[in-house]
Parts: sequence; structure tokens; C-alpha cells
Amino acid sequence: MSKRSGTDGSLLASLPWTLGALMFSILPHLPYLPPWVTAAFLGCSAWRWQVERKRWRLPPAWIRVMLALLCFIGVLASYESVSGVGPGSALLAVMAALKMLETKSRRDQFVLLFISIFLIMSSLLREQYLWSLPYLLAGVLFTMTAWLRMADVRKIVLMRSIGTGARLIAYALPLMIAMWVFFPRIATPFWAVPIDTGMASSGLSDRMSPGDISSLSLSNAVAFRVNFDGAVPPPKQLYWRGLVLYGFNGRTWTAGEFTIGSHAQSEIEYQGDPVSYQVTMEPTRQHWVLSLDVAFDWDREQQIFMASQHQLARMHPLDQRFSYELISYPSYRIDDHLSSYSKDFYTRLPAGSNPRTVALAKEMRKQAGSAEAFIKRVLRKFNTETFYYTLEPPPLGSDPVDRFLFDTRRGFCEHYASAFAVMMRAAGIPSRIVLGYQGGEMNPMGQYMIVRQADAHAWTEVWLPGRGWYRVDPTAAVAPERIEEGRYGAMRDGTGAGWGLNSPSEWLYRVTLTWDALNAQWNEWILAYGPENQGRFMEWLGMEEPDWQKMMLTLVTLIVVLVAIISAMIMMRYRPPQKDEAVRLYRKFIVAAGVEAARGETPLHLASRIGRDNATATGDADRITALYLDSRYGPPEPASLRQLQGAVEQFVQQR
Amino acid sequence: MSSTTSTFPDFLQPSAYRRKAEARIGRWAKARQGTDQSVTVLQSRRIYILPTGVGLVFGLMTFTMLLGSMNYNNNLSFVLTFLLVGIGFVAMHQCQRNLVGLEVAFAGVDPVFAGQVAEFRIAITNHSKNRRPHLQVYVGNTVSHIEDLEAGESRICNVEMPAERRGRISLDRFAIRTLFPFELFRAWAWLHMDLSGSVYPQPAAGAPEPPPTQTAHGHRQHDARGEEDFAGLRKFHVGDSPRHVAWKAYARTGDLLSKQFSGSDTSSQWFDFDQVPANDIEQRLSVLTRWIVDADRTQRDYGLRLPGEEFSPAHGDTHRHRCLEALAFFEEAS
Repeated sequence: MSKRSGTDGSLLASLPWTLGALMFSILPHLPYLPPWVTAAFLGCSAWRWQVERKRWRLPPAWIRVMLALLCFIGVLASYESVSGVGPGSALLAVMAALKMLETKSRRDQFVLLFISIFLIMSSLLREQYLWSLPYLLAGVLFTMTAWLRMADVRKIVLMRSIGTGARLIAYALPLMIAMWVFFPRIATPFWAVPIDTGMASSGLSDRMSPGDISSLSLSNAVAFRVNFDGAVPPPKQLYWRGLVLYGFNGRTWTAGEFTIGSHAQSEIEYQGDPVSYQVTMEPTRQHWVLSLDVAFDWDREQQIFMASQHQLARMHPLDQRFSYELISYPSYRIDDHLSSYSKDFYTRLPAGSNPRTVALAKEMRKQAGSAEAFIKRVLRKFNTETFYYTLEPPPLGSDPVDRFLFDTRRGFCEHYASAFAVMMRAAGIPSRIVLGYQGGEMNPMGQYMIVRQADAHAWTEVWLPGRGWYRVDPTAAVAPERIEEGRYGAMRDGTGAGWGLNSPSEWLYRVTLTWDALNAQWNEWILAYGPENQGRFMEWLGMEEPDWQKMMLTLVTLIVVLVAIISAMIMMRYRPPQKDEAVRLYRKFIVAAGVEAARGETPLHLASRIGRDNATATGDADRITALYLDSRYGPPEPASLRQLQGAVEQFVQQR
Repeated sequence: MSSTTSTFPDFLQPSAYRRKAEARIGRWAKARQGTDQSVTVLQSRRIYILPTGVGLVFGLMTFTMLLGSMNYNNNLSFVLTFLLVGIGFVAMHQCQRNLVGLEVAFAGVDPVFAGQVAEFRIAITNHSKNRRPHLQVYVGNTVSHIEDLEAGESRICNVEMPAERRGRISLDRFAIRTLFPFELFRAWAWLHMDLSGSVYPQPAAGAPEPPPTQTAHGHRQHDARGEEDFAGLRKFHVGDSPRHVAWKAYARTGDLLSKQFSGSDTSSQWFDFDQVPANDIEQRLSVLTRWIVDADRTQRDYGLRLPGEEFSPAHGDTHRHRCLEALAFFEEAS
């Protein structure tokens, strides 16, 4: 122990709980935090605990200021920003670590616990899984228990603190549910802060360079889920239009800025039967909105618009999970009007790139005679010549289309779409590439369709006079089964490989699907509870034309009622203890005997008085009095109380 | 139980403004409630509640979190925010209920000399079937922690008050308060009981010699005790002459005993206000106090003569108290 003034050890009882609550709150951040932040946090926790135990001194102020500056610079260096969830959580963790080093009093511990709550909050901004709810409840219980431990100056039994914390949280739960349901949700955010979760977004990208990727990772992550109102369209109609790429530099296809296509929809002639469905997209932090080719009508209030190339997009990026309702027509025709400028635009190829392909296309076009015949020939070329559909194609060097068509002949959808589009453009046929998803898997547990990142697909659209834009999927020419059957016929055998299981595992497949169904429910009922769902739910509850005033009024009323009930429940806890059961029975006996006990009269005296007044009751009175004295003042024994009860009841009945 | 002036962090310490405001509210509360019985059970309508500094920060935090949740439309953040708001509501009611039904009773105050600290004993009883945690008795800015009261438990808490002048010392107002459960709220009840005690004058430090002892017959005798007849032994008191110590008995038993002589039985002293060699009234009272204290210590009979009041010679605690109280309230309007 130091002779200089160290800590006084007064926080010994409460500090481990405060530190423990902080650690619990920081858990979900650990995968995202830079290692040095985690190390600083754990190091400071351990050090602070040792300081308290060994009564060391806390570091002087100038060291703490230096450390604070260093940490701030460290966060800035790690994230190149201090706004957003990533750097925000790192700053919170660092603040907690530094605050520990100057925690001397209970007041400082309050600050630590406030940080703990903010850490839980920021982890929820990052991810909202099914387990996040029990986690947050446990986190609040932990923090509030630490809070109680801190407030109790005298050491009390741990289970008591946990019990008190759990009881108070249990009282708060109905209030929480009422507020959650009725608090009016608003559609537009006050300010836009990017939520970068620090994870690379998988899925579609607004550029495509088939030669660069040598392996397409088949991510099983969910891209979106679909609820069809009617029958599910066959797999070959399940082309989910995402975004359209039309700029090509010889290697990479790119999409331009989204432009509102004011005439885009008027160009479409819808045919056949509509398909009505609801899509719930996972957050992409991008603008595009997926629709079954091609969209007819959608929720106009959700800032969705149709862009020039008939794809849907949204003004705000999809930072949150996003649900919308749609009607699409799988059969459609697009007007063949195309300006000469657009014709030129969609046939543009960089001069001198992929010369062999361009030459081949021109040659084939000449031989084919008509454009339709040329397209058929190119598809037949992919179909009949030796092309392989593979997810692990060799990398392509310069002039990647040439290399693919003439040398490697191995690739996946992007390679075929790119080669096809280049050949079309070389022959003067306007063409573009559509990125999206193809297919989807019905979940039998939840009667909805899951579309995964592995379902990402690229196809082409060509324009012909008299026909307009129409879809040509060159991949279908190479691997028709991928389109006809969907990916899932084969996939089921492979399920479980990721867990190291080789044999087909039916039950694992089922578990996976059940878990996904649960998640879909969670998304639909909890996470997607926004302005629309709330309005619908209010209507279902019987509120007419729900608006925020009605909801607030209901909420306030509910809170008043609930608080009154809770207050009464708390009051019940402070009632005086129940009168002794023996006393209650004895009173009953006295009333039945028809006497009134004088003040200070002993039971024995009373019994003799009853005997004097009424000779027939003497035996009973003596017996009941003896039993009463026995059960009231004797060793606690349920048997004697039962005997007393029997005797009193018998006595009362005789009267 | 501890009684301290500043176990609270600064930000919980009432500022001067708040003390003034509290005094005003206290007067208003007294006008509203009237004077309390010396045994009072706290009713809910007399319990006041306000958020603490921590509570205000907590409120600010939940408000920030609400804005964040609304901005991101993040439904789990809403869950967390509303859970904390709910906990706030529950804490408020729990805090108030922690006081309702508590029995507060005055358990007396011992007389003290001016310059000492009077200790008012407040008995607090929890008649409920559950524990009442984190209770405090609060006077001015002095907080006495009682901590927890188990079901049925009763505890006495000392409220200390420095007695500066002789006369009556009274505790106009004190508060029972609680910060349970999370220190987000502070609930308290003002109590205005008729609590008062006596403060004797301060015994003079360098007092003149007391007047000589008189025998019952009236003739003067210089020694306080007669030495003619040995009457017995009694316990040694500070001030006894070493000549009277029974050294033989001490050597035998280890106890210090003084020899008593029968001559002392009849001797007594009269302490006369008018004959005290001092001018100032307070000084005279102070000297008289000193004489009484000293005389009482040696268990001599003494009498007190004040203008308009006389106590015949006697000894014992009751006599001492009567005499000292007469001095305490001498020429006091109260």
C-alpha cells in the first residue's frame, strides 16, 4: 500500500459491477473495433480494478489528458472520421476506458453507466438481429443492477440487487411496449448520418468487370424476401431488375447517375396477368430498389421512382431494411421509339478494344442477314461451342472479351452478358446489361421467397426496331438449368457443407429455413414497424384514420392507466404484513363464542370467562385456547395450525 | 449508521438557492400540514418528489436516444429508449412509495451544555412486509444515513444540532428522504414535530471557589467533609482528596476507593446567585453551573438560590437536572 494518498477502496463493492456492465455492453462492438481500442478498454478496466484493490493512486491529470488526445487521434486515424456508428462506438469505448482512470466517486460511476447505455444503443444502430432484443434486456438489467449496487452504500446481498433490478424492469416492460406501439413513427429522418457498419456490402455493385473477378463468392446472405399475394411465377420469369449498366470502357461496365425517367413508364405496354407482391430488402446503402421485371405500380409514398432504363430507385439510400409493395407484369413490350442519339449511345464501344470480338461480330452480322438471325446465331454459338459455366473462371488480361470468347471460354453470367452485349454493339444493335437477381427459394416454413446474394445475376437487353428493348439472357444458352430450375435443386445437397458435414442433411436444411422464417417474422413485425405498418396496426386496433395526435392521446391515456396500476402494485409491496393466521382463527372463535375480549385480557382468562358464562363451551374453549397458544407461540408447525382451524370450524358450526 | 455533512457529491449538494427555496417550501408545507404528532405515519399527500441531478442527466440521455431512434427509425433503439423511460416512471413511483407508511417518532433528546452538540433521537419504523432501502434523515445540509430498514425493523437515528446558547433548543423541521432506487429522484417528507430539549449554561472554565460547606446546624466548616467518624468506602471520584483514598483497599483489590466520613452526611452547600463573584448574568450562571456539576460529581448535597426561586439542598440526577434547567431558562422569555 502506498503511503501517499491512494484510492480509499470505497468503490470495491460497486466497481466490479460497473466494469462488468461496461464489458457486457461492449461485447457486440468487439468484431468492429480496432484491436487497440479493445486492448485499451480491457487494459484500463484491469488496471482500474487493481488500483482499487491495491489502493494505488490514479494517474495524474496530465497523463489522462495526453491519453485522451492520443486516443482521439487514434480513432481519427483508424476511421478517418468521427461521425457514424463505427467511430462513434470506438469513441465511446475509449471514453469509457479513460473515464475509468479518473473514477474516484460514485458520480464518476454514473458517467460510466451512462456510457454503458450509449454503447448498447450504438450496437443496436449497427445491427438488429433476433438476439439483439434479449441482449439489450440483459444489458439494461446488468447496468441497472450495477446502478443499484452503486447506490447501496452498505453491502447487500447480490441476489437482492438483481431481484430489485429485475422487478423494476418488469414493471417498466408494459410501459415500454405501450410506448413502442403507440409512439408515432415518422417517415423522414431529421438529418442523414451515414451508418457505416464497417462491413463490406455484398451484393450488387454499380460496376462490372468480368475479367477482374476470378472467383464469385456464393454468399448465402439474404438479399431480399418476397411475399407473393397470389401464385408464385415460374422460375424463368423471376428476373429481379436491379440496375442497368450501359457505359463500357473495353473492360468495365458502369451505370450512370440515376435519372428520373419521366417517360419511362409510358413506353411500357403491359401484357398478360399482373403479379402482386411485397419485397423486404436488406439494407444496401444504395439507391436501387428491386422489382420483378417489369414494374407497373408501387407505393408512391416511399420516394420510389422509375429511372430511365425502367429500373426502380429511391431518393434516399436504403440504410435500413426496407419494405415496399409492388405490382409487376412479367410479360411486357417496350415501345420501339429510340432517338438516334440514344441509338448511338447504346452502341458505343471504345475504339480499338477487343478487336477480335468486334471483327467476329461484324462478320457474323453480315452472314446472318437480319438482326434477329444474328442474335440467334450468337446465342447458338454460346450453346453449341464449348463454353463452360463456372464460378471460378481464369482471370482475363487486356481485351478481356477477346480473351474470354477465343481463349478461356469459361465464365459466369457476367462474362456471357458482357461478351454478348459487346458483340451486339459491334454489330450496331443497341444493348445494355441488367444487374439483378434471378430466381429465389420458397421457404415452406413461412410461405415466402428468399432471394440470396448468390442469386445475383447479369443479363442483357437489346433493342430492335419494331420490337423495342427486350431481354436476352446469354447465360441461359450456356447453362439453361440455372434459369429453368433455379439454383436450389442442386443446392440442397450441399447444405451443411459449411458446417463440415458431407452428407446431405435434410434436418439442417430445415433448421436453416426455420431460422430464416423466424427472422422474416422478426423483420416484418418488429423491425419494419414504421409509419405505414403502424398506421395499419392502428386501423386494425380500431382507430379511425390514425394520425399522430390520436396515437399520442392513446399513449398518454395508456401511460396514466399503466402507471396507476404499477403504483398500486408497488404500494401492495409496502402493505403491513398479513395478520397471523392463528390470530385470525382465534378472532373467529371469539366472535362465535359471543364474548368481547377486554383490553389486555389474556386468552386463558378469556377462556375461563367463556366457561363461566356457558358451561357447555368450556371444553371447546379450553381446547381452542390451548391450540391457539400452541400455534401462535409454540415452535412453527403447520400441523397445530390445521388442528386449530378444524377446532374453530367445528365450534362455529355447532353455534 | 453514520452522520456526516458531505457524503454527497457536490452536484447533489444543495446550493444556497436551493436551501432558501427549500426553507420557503418547508414553511409552506408546515402551513399546509400543521404541527405533527410526536408519532407520525407518513401519508402520500405529504411526500414531495423532485428529480436529482443524475435524474436530469438520465432524462436528457433518454431524450437524446429518442431523437436518435426517431432519426434512424430504429425499432430496437426505440425499445431501449422506452424501456429506460419506463424505468424512469417506475423509479419515480417506487421512490415515493418507499416513504409512504413509514412511522417516524421522536425518541427524545438529552440535555446538553451550551457548546456541546444536542442529539435528537428520531425513531423510524418500517411496518411493511418489505424492506425499505436507502433512507436518510435530513436537516439543513446534514444527512444522516439510515440505509436499509428491513421489514418490521425500527431504528433510531441521531440528528445532531450544535447547542450554542443556554435555554431551549428545538428542531423545527427535519426531513425523511430517500433516493431509492436509482438516485434518479429524491422523495422527502417534511416533519414539523414539537421537538425541543434543554441546553444548560456552559460550565465556567476558571470558576472561583464554591462557597464553604455548612453543617445542618448552621456553623461553618472549612473542610467539605467531616473527618471525625469513618462511615465507609465509596467509589473514587475525580476531585476526591488523595488523603481520603483507601490505599490499603486499593493494594488489596485494585479498585480506587475513597473513605467516607460521617461528618459529610449532614453538610451541604448553598449556591446563591446573588453571591457569585461575577458581574455578568451569563457569567454567574456559568459559574453556578460549574459548581453544581462539581458538587454533583462528589455527590454532595447542594442547594440553589436564584432570585425568586430556591431549590433546597439535595443530590441526585433529578435534583441536578432541576437546578441546571432553572439556570438554563433563567430570565428567558421562552
